Amino acid sequence: MKTKHQLSALALAFTTAFSASAVADQTSRTNGMRDNTPSLIAVQNATVVTEPGKQVSNATLVIRDGKVVSVQQNNRAPEGARIIDATGYTLYPGFIDAYANYGVPQAEKTSRPDAPIYNNEREGGNAANDAIHAEQNWYSQFKTDSEAARSYIDAGFTSVQSARLDGIFQGRALTVSLADKIPNDVIYQSKSRHFGSFDKGESQQQYPSSLMGSIALVRQTLSDANWYQQAQGKQAQNGPVEFNAALESLTDIEQTGIVFKVQDEKSLLRADSVFDQFEVPTVYVGSGYEYARLNDVKNAGSRLILPLNFPAAPDVSGVDAHLDVDLAKLRHWERAPANPAMLAQAGVDFALTMHGLDKADSFWPNVKKAIRHGLTKEQALAALTTIPATIAGVEEKVGKLSSGYMADFVMVKGDVFEDGVIQSVWTQGQEQELLPRHEVNFAGDYQIDWQGTAVALNITAEPTAGGEFTWGEENIKLRHVASEHDEMQFVADLPQAEPAGTWRFKLAPSAQQQFTLTAKAPNGQEQQLTAEYSAAESNDQKLTETEVDYVGDLTFPNVAYGVNGLPERQDVLIRNTTVWTATSDGILEGADVLIRNGEFAEVGKNINAGNVDLIIDGSGMHLTPGIIDEHSHIAIDRGVNEGSEAITSEVRIGDVVNSDDIHIYRSLAGGATMAQLLHGSANPIGGQAQVIKLRWGANADLMKFDAAPESIKFALGENVKQSNWGDDMTIRYPQTRMGVETIMRDGFQAALEYQQQQRAYERLSRSEKSKQAAPRPDKRLDALIEILNSDRFVHAHSYVASEILMLMEVAEDFGFTLDTFTHILEGYKVADEMAAHGASGSTFADWWAYKFEVYDAIPHNACLMNERGVLTSINSDSNDLQRRLNTEAAKSVRYCGMDPHEALKMVTINPAKQLKVEQYVGSIEEGKHADFVLWNNYPLSAYARAQQTWINGRKYFDRQLDEQLQQQVQAEKNALIQKVLAAGDKAMIGADDVYKEDQPTWHCNTDHDVWLDHFAAGAHSHGGKH
Amino acid sequence: MKYLTHTLAAAVLSTLVAAPTALANDQVPGEKQQQPIVLQGGTLHTVANGTLTDTDLVFSDGKITAIGKDVDVPAQAQVVDISGQHVYPGVIAMDTTLGLNEIEAVRATRDAREVGEVTPEVAGHIAYNADSEIIPTVRYHGITHAQVVPEGSLVTGQSSLMQLDAWNWEDGLVSAELGVHVSWPRTYIVDTWWERRSPKEQREANAKALKHLKQVFIDAKAYYDAKQADLNIEQDQRWEAMLGLFDGSKKLFVQAEDKRQLEQALDLAQEYGFKLVLMGARDSWRIAERLAETQTPVVFGSPYGLPARDDEGYDQAFSTPAKLAEAGVNFAIAYPGYWDVRNLPFAAGQSVAFGLGVDEAIKAITLKPAEFLGVADRLGSIEVGKSASFSVSKGDLLDPISQDLTHLFIDGRKVELESRHTELYEKYQQKPAK
Repeated sequence: MKTKHQLSALALAFTTAFSASAVADQTSRTNGMRDNTPSLIAVQNATVVTEPGKQVSNATLVIRDGKVVSVQQNNRAPEGARIIDATGYTLYPGFIDAYANYGVPQAEKTSRPDAPIYNNEREGGNAANDAIHAEQNWYSQFKTDSEAARSYIDAGFTSVQSARLDGIFQGRALTVSLADKIPNDVIYQSKSRHFGSFDKGESQQQYPSSLMGSIALVRQTLSDANWYQQAQGKQAQNGPVEFNAALESLTDIEQTGIVFKVQDEKSLLRADSVFDQFEVPTVYVGSGYEYARLNDVKNAGSRLILPLNFPAAPDVSGVDAHLDVDLAKLRHWERAPANPAMLAQAGVDFALTMHGLDKADSFWPNVKKAIRHGLTKEQALAALTTIPATIAGVEEKVGKLSSGYMADFVMVKGDVFEDGVIQSVWTQGQEQELLPRHEVNFAGDYQIDWQGTAVALNITAEPTAGGEFTWGEENIKLRHVASEHDEMQFVADLPQAEPAGTWRFKLAPSAQQQFTLTAKAPNGQEQQLTAEYSAAESNDQKLTETEVDYVGDLTFPNVAYGVNGLPERQDVLIRNTTVWTATSDGILEGADVLIRNGEFAEVGKNINAGNVDLIIDGSGMHLTPGIIDEHSHIAIDRGVNEGSEAITSEVRIGDVVNSDDIHIYRSLAGGATMAQLLHGSANPIGGQAQVIKLRWGANADLMKFDAAPESIKFALGENVKQSNWGDDMTIRYPQTRMGVETIMRDGFQAALEYQQQQRAYERLSRSEKSKQAAPRPDKRLDALIEILNSDRFVHAHSYVASEILMLMEVAEDFGFTLDTFTHILEGYKVADEMAAHGASGSTFADWWAYKFEVYDAIPHNACLMNERGVLTSINSDSNDLQRRLNTEAAKSVRYCGMDPHEALKMVTINPAKQLKVEQYVGSIEEGKHADFVLWNNYPLSAYARAQQTWINGRKYFDRQLDEQLQQQVQAEKNALIQKVLAAGDKAMIGADDVYKEDQPTWHCNTDHDVWLDHFAAGAHSHGGKH
Repeated sequence: MKYLTHTLAAAVLSTLVAAPTALANDQVPGEKQQQPIVLQGGTLHTVANGTLTDTDLVFSDGKITAIGKDVDVPAQAQVVDISGQHVYPGVIAMDTTLGLNEIEAVRATRDAREVGEVTPEVAGHIAYNADSEIIPTVRYHGITHAQVVPEGSLVTGQSSLMQLDAWNWEDGLVSAELGVHVSWPRTYIVDTWWERRSPKEQREANAKALKHLKQVFIDAKAYYDAKQADLNIEQDQRWEAMLGLFDGSKKLFVQAEDKRQLEQALDLAQEYGFKLVLMGARDSWRIAERLAETQTPVVFGSPYGLPARDDEGYDQAFSTPAKLAEAGVNFAIAYPGYWDVRNLPFAAGQSVAFGLGVDEAIKAITLKPAEFLGVADRLGSIEVGKSASFSVSKGDLLDPISQDLTHLFIDGRKVELESRHTELYEKYQQKPAK
């Protein structure tokens, strides 16, 4: 097939320009002669697929003035029509690509400035953020571009939905025909959908620098659009409501909808929850990973646009190459071509797009690959016609072949979904011929009567045209073989012929199965011979084999150590074990613990269990509550910091929970069951936090622990004043601890005033409200008000005594309690003050010396705070430490003689209290969630190992099962490697940049602009960076 | 570290102008041993000869003079009853920047990394700050010695062995210029967003870096050969520093994690006949058989490591020491860093949780490092004739719930267990309640 597609590209090179335009421009003056060529055409004897699932054989398609007049069986052509014989051809509606950048100029690539840019240039009433171009209507910059249209037309496309693909709100697309005419004639829909993505694109503005920042910006912008709709023309607090073209354009997005590109299936779900909230209809441009969370994607209920950039296999040929390749990649290589079929079977409507393909000519091989993996032809056709037509808002004009539709269609020799070859593409009734319609296939065997001698001639077409004569016993190779569509010429050295020597030949068809061979003798004499033709056997692999054997598994998440489903909830009795209750009951020896309905039902001796699913002999083991980490940065996608602006209280870690992070599993294996995922520490008021239970296998929403009250990250000190960020980062306020205080005060003051404005507005009469605009809802200030109302609790990254005192004073002045200081390495210096304020502390066991503000940190900090009445916990802030918080807690036993049970509380009930979830988790008590760990040894000991970790009565980690899993992972990986190797070069065909990239290890101060791919802070080194 | 190479905030700089006092600890190095000391009735983890319970330990003039039950108390000896307590050989922390780095984020306090790719001429002890506030906090855990290693990108410098209770580096130096350290070029390829090069480009860059390193050895060898032949050549400090590799007086310490790095290092060492020590060696378990066969010293540096790859078991790094032991590999355990090397005994304990024998774990942080650093005749075990460098702990040294040092001796000198940390702890215990 590949060769044929190469041929078609070649054919195009000499396809002449169009014949005279059939549809004249309506507003242009004619210079010279007018063109009045008739446009009535009848294509006869064709199989016409009028729409997915419907076809008419022996049909006649009549078109006129660029539109379809009729499709009928055995219809006679209207009189005067130009007749085209399409015997052996199938006509399909022209294909539509609903996601393209055609005819609209791309965004300018600008060089990256050294100094950060916080505000964008304002022009034309644009948005305050440079990634928002919603005011653009791309038809205004649209020009037809026959060069760019070529790769689409080559693949059978006749129209596209197009916009500049840059930024978050990218503006409104237009839908056009790919006909080579003036824009006025090809625009089918001048204002179709809005386009968008989470990627800020070429915007040089700092905000947003993270995925969660982008999501927050989408949310705020949609909210602003709603506000603007109401506020337009009214009086705002400080003058008339501004003109804002971007917001104006978005006021009716509930009707127009948005085509939104996402980077993976997780971001699809993220986008969907935001757009659902604002009732914006959505179509997602997918990633090819949708199959990995098929049900969730289905439940999103949106149409998709799927790229067909199936991956090339990772290189596993070297003896050590597998060391650099993860199982997850190999799985995706195997499964990605099944993505369209799996979505189709799940009932998800999707269109296919050329977008994302490095090479346009890989489109059809990949469509066929998708079909081999179970996509039906009918589904594939719908994905190329009716569905994209609807997405592009042109379903009344294109996507079908029936009366009144545009004469946009594809002529294919054979079945386009099998071995068919696209011969010509018609746009608005104009033919763009890719291959000669009646091309002669010369390949085959010929019997020639050479003046009484039977001579055989064999012609081969692939890989290059060639052949040989068989004369008696001898084979004579042909030389100088050259063919055009209806004749082939070559040269052969024939010692047997009379006269002997080098003969020249021309082969041309004369009748059915008969060719004439014109032979020119060495002496210049010419003779005509008859050649009886028989066709060559086709070696083409049949495309109908749809059975694909998968050797890779498909798990949740679809990575090594993923699971097939959530573990069963079990009623369990653990007998005769040592129970660390984390309550006033202390440590109970030889106790039983009964778990029913996911909760602890009873703790005591000799419990009569009744019916349970499982009895565990706990002798020699220790049972503790599941470990809770107040400060974690695992399971976060694309940026832990929205570190751009000083206050970013609107961003939410909850928007970017990464359910696929292997550190969830690794932490379970260390006994952790719950973690508060915190925003980083790059700015004084950071983002909203998210408490999760480590339900490995669940999606992000199921991991979230909704019962936990809302919380937020604050930060103080070196990170927020950018002390260690280099010379360029010295212009953002604050650069000192003094400024940290004042910017926080200013933020809270702004929130108070905003609240007053809202209240004042609510008191207005209806008529006053008709003149006065409501205060613009501000997600940033909303979060601050929640803090002031004690509906949201602060976890403040802090180190030195002075800043701790400062923040408590600020909180007291604004009437709230600063709930938890995290890191708090100098908490021991101000423990009494903290206790008096009501603040708790969550600290590292023994970290220090990695920067100046931790030079006074001591490993006795937890003891001192604890002794002075501060509720104290030990946290990890590290994917490594999160796996061994038990021994981190034990360090307080080492350094300052803390009671071991008290030490254990610092990683169980105490952090539970800090997260305000102690009524659910953190101790072994009747009625609490059955989140627990079974250890093989004294749980604070270096020698302890978690054997089992349970959450809500479900076993999420089991060391014995893990041993099996480790072997399964290797076996599966080996099988997949074998499959790649067996596929040989074929495995290497495909895209190599479509695998998910590894997420880095996030640290508090990793300030990485995930869109500009720019790190402000450095890589990890042993034991630093917090 | 990259982010630290930029200018510091003025506030920090001004603090550092007055730094000398702030960066010097108040602990007074112990006096030379004046009289014999007898530690009576302890449990001795000798490493060399098993664990001896209820045994006396006698040392004099900085050396162990007797071990046994009810040994004779020498005249004028100080007798200390340590019954119920444990004695461990001084822990030797390999692969550290202790004394070179004080505050990681403050550039002026960092002395571990010289500029340039090939700097074998620099030696760790030269910049070692014996007054570092970090050092007493490390001793607190029974660590008596540290191998101080320059950092860098290719040939990083030479390491030195320091004892951790000294007035200055000359006083603290046990063994200078132990060997040349090489940070082995990358062999693997990655697919992350900070790596913008294609796999092919990465492979080419890896090959180029390896070629560069090989050229270093070719050049150094040429220098050595020229010297041997008494050719009249001018001095090249770099190659001068590497002469000892060729005459066998210095070891080659190679920082290598990936299997392919380890294999390349083994091949190169074999080619030149170098005495090789592998440092880091995260993937050593993958070639345990070869390592056991060659008895190449391996300093495993990831006892608390995350799995190197997503497909590896969660406990891969934890269980690697046990796997090495089982295969008969000649290995030590390190926990590279500076302030956090104090956790080395606990890290060795973690290996026990995942299958390593307790005695092997102790050996991996005492006698094995001593062997690899060429001081096993003096250090690393509790044997008569060896240096009196050991800790006395009420409980298990490897376990945070029981480690509790009552004494620390280095060469028979009593070493203070106080530190900036204990002093600040004391100070703030005295803060009046509010």
